[in-house]
Amino acid sequence: MTTTADAPILAVENLVTSFRTGGGWHPAVRDVSFAVQHNETLAIVGESGCGKSVTALSIMGLVPPANGRIAGGHIRFAGLDLVALDDEEMRRIRGDRISMIFQEPMTSLNPVLTVGFQVAEALRYHRDMGRRESDVAALELLDQVKIPSARARFADYPHQFSGGMRQRVMIAMALACRPELLLADEPTTALDVTIQAQVLSLLAELKAAYGMAMIFITHNLGVVASIADRVAAMYAGEIVEIAPVNALFARPTHPYTELLLRSIPRVDRDMGGLSTIAGQVPAIGAMPSGCRFAPRCPLREPTCTTGDPLLVPLPGAADHLVRCRVRAPQSEAQHA
Amino acid sequence: MPDSVLTVTGLRKFFTVRRGFPRTRTVTVRALDGISFHVRDGEAFGLVGESGCGKSTAGRAGLRLIEPDAGEIDFKGENVVTASKARMRVLRRKLQIIFQDPYASLNPRRRIGKALIEPMRVHGIAADAECEERAHALLAEVGLPDDAMTRYPHEFSGGQRQRIGIARSLTLEPELLVADEPVSALDISIQSQILLLLQRLQENRKLAFIFISHDLGVVRYFCQRMAVMYLGRIVETGPIPAIFQEPLHPYTRMLRDASPVPDPQFKVIMQRIEGEVPSAVDPPSGCHFHTRCPHVMPVCRDVYPEWRQTDDERGVACHLHAR
Repeated sequence: MTTTADAPILAVENLVTSFRTGGGWHPAVRDVSFAVQHNETLAIVGESGCGKSVTALSIMGLVPPANGRIAGGHIRFAGLDLVALDDEEMRRIRGDRISMIFQEPMTSLNPVLTVGFQVAEALRYHRDMGRRESDVAALELLDQVKIPSARARFADYPHQFSGGMRQRVMIAMALACRPELLLADEPTTALDVTIQAQVLSLLAELKAAYGMAMIFITHNLGVVASIADRVAAMYAGEIVEIAPVNALFARPTHPYTELLLRSIPRVDRDMGGLSTIAGQVPAIGAMPSGCRFAPRCPLREPTCTTGDPLLVPLPGAADHLVRCRVRAPQSEAQHA
Repeated sequence: MPDSVLTVTGLRKFFTVRRGFPRTRTVTVRALDGISFHVRDGEAFGLVGESGCGKSTAGRAGLRLIEPDAGEIDFKGENVVTASKARMRVLRRKLQIIFQDPYASLNPRRRIGKALIEPMRVHGIAADAECEERAHALLAEVGLPDDAMTRYPHEFSGGQRQRIGIARSLTLEPELLVADEPVSALDISIQSQILLLLQRLQENRKLAFIFISHDLGVVRYFCQRMAVMYLGRIVETGPIPAIFQEPLHPYTRMLRDASPVPDPQFKVIMQRIEGEVPSAVDPPSGCHFHTRCPHVMPVCRDVYPEWRQTDDERGVACHLHAR
């Protein structure tokens, strides 16, 4: 539990996670590296199939073994390499020191068990608490996630809760053991905007209260702007840009990030016109050589399709990294 | 309304559903509780609101795809509600719909060409050869390759399928399109492609739209006017962008302020956490919104606020704006 103040709680290094499709293994996540500090929220943003959820599943050790595997890299968490742990060791960490919430709470909650029982379960499993003790703690958790009259609702079943309340129950379950790291995979995507705003506020509040680190996965750049301290934008299995939230929105530098930001119709202002990104995301088995965004990129140069671009810091901004030959000169990498 | 293509007055639709276990009971969902709006020639009219507010039912009942319980629908001077079956067939050509998930509305075993040509045949629009020609033209118009004609729905991505759905809705040369969350299932980069396509069609074909969406940003971008729905009723209508700049109804304001924008200077924060949000099964007394309203007054709990037209363009149902 004890780590020095500035050491990251999680460091993902050169992660490669592959899936078997059409007879061959193809990386869904390729050479992904990032770190998350205590009390920091890192948002991973990208479109469907960019590898953001696979990154989270890799950290949780939940890559489906039938057709997926971590093919390379390290996931360092509080001095451990999660990639090297066996199932039993991973099970002790999961739900205790690292936990996760998902998009659709109804599919993650057991419909035939009461809400109170499910929140208390992690405490009985990881903390060896008895029934009475864990129930008291679970009730306190339900209060913390602001379930109204939690005592009366303790023995209710998930179907008796609204979508927003179910998601808060999921959050209570995830936070039961006071994890050091919370992974949230599109936790507000299925919710109405007013409920989404409430859940985002609650998550930010609890994160600060617990001092935990959070990885928040979403496709919604508006949500990113609301919750993140830092942002990693992913495209086709790679991080193309990673920066503090203000820097990313003020100075989106990878052509993909920049175009994406200009493709969002905004509620707070009139858009002259929307940008679009021509074409579509390449299939996992048919990645272009060189820069994976090159076929859709308006700034494409002949060199873009030859070698893989590196994720390098921008001149004068060590914490703003971009994977683009045109916008982030690669010679910087050699000097760095 | 002389310049309006579709005028809906007092539209009502209640559903009865059986729910509960082990003892089921019959409940009434007041999906549409008397709504009125009109869509002008060549205009995109937005219907916004959160899930369960009745916006999809409004779109479908407005085209008489589901029979309304009460109310009137006028399409260019013709009464749609009382139209005969034969007359309805003609009206259907003018009134078409695009869905959120076009895959669900495409026959997986039928080639795209056939899906496009069939409606033209059914309505006897043109001879076979001409139908085929028109189908090719439609594919080009929505930005799909010509060989799509001979391919099956599963061979296309989500964005391409939405283009197919749009092409098919255009086969009968409609004058009004209901677009029910047409871009909600799409990634951002694809969403903007489809929005631009719809915008081009609106301009080139002088199409009118009823554009149903929960995404206020998309509605602000695409529509000229909009109505905000809450639990089966319209609570505010107004032109865009005025309705965003100065919302009259507290619910419109709440929706706007809760919609995240891609700018870290404007974080969406909502400290007040709600429990159960009321539903159209059992809407609260008085103003349905009073249980969530930051400006609630005693009168709001007992009396549903009367509709008030604040000027030619804007109207609101809220006691704060009562005369």
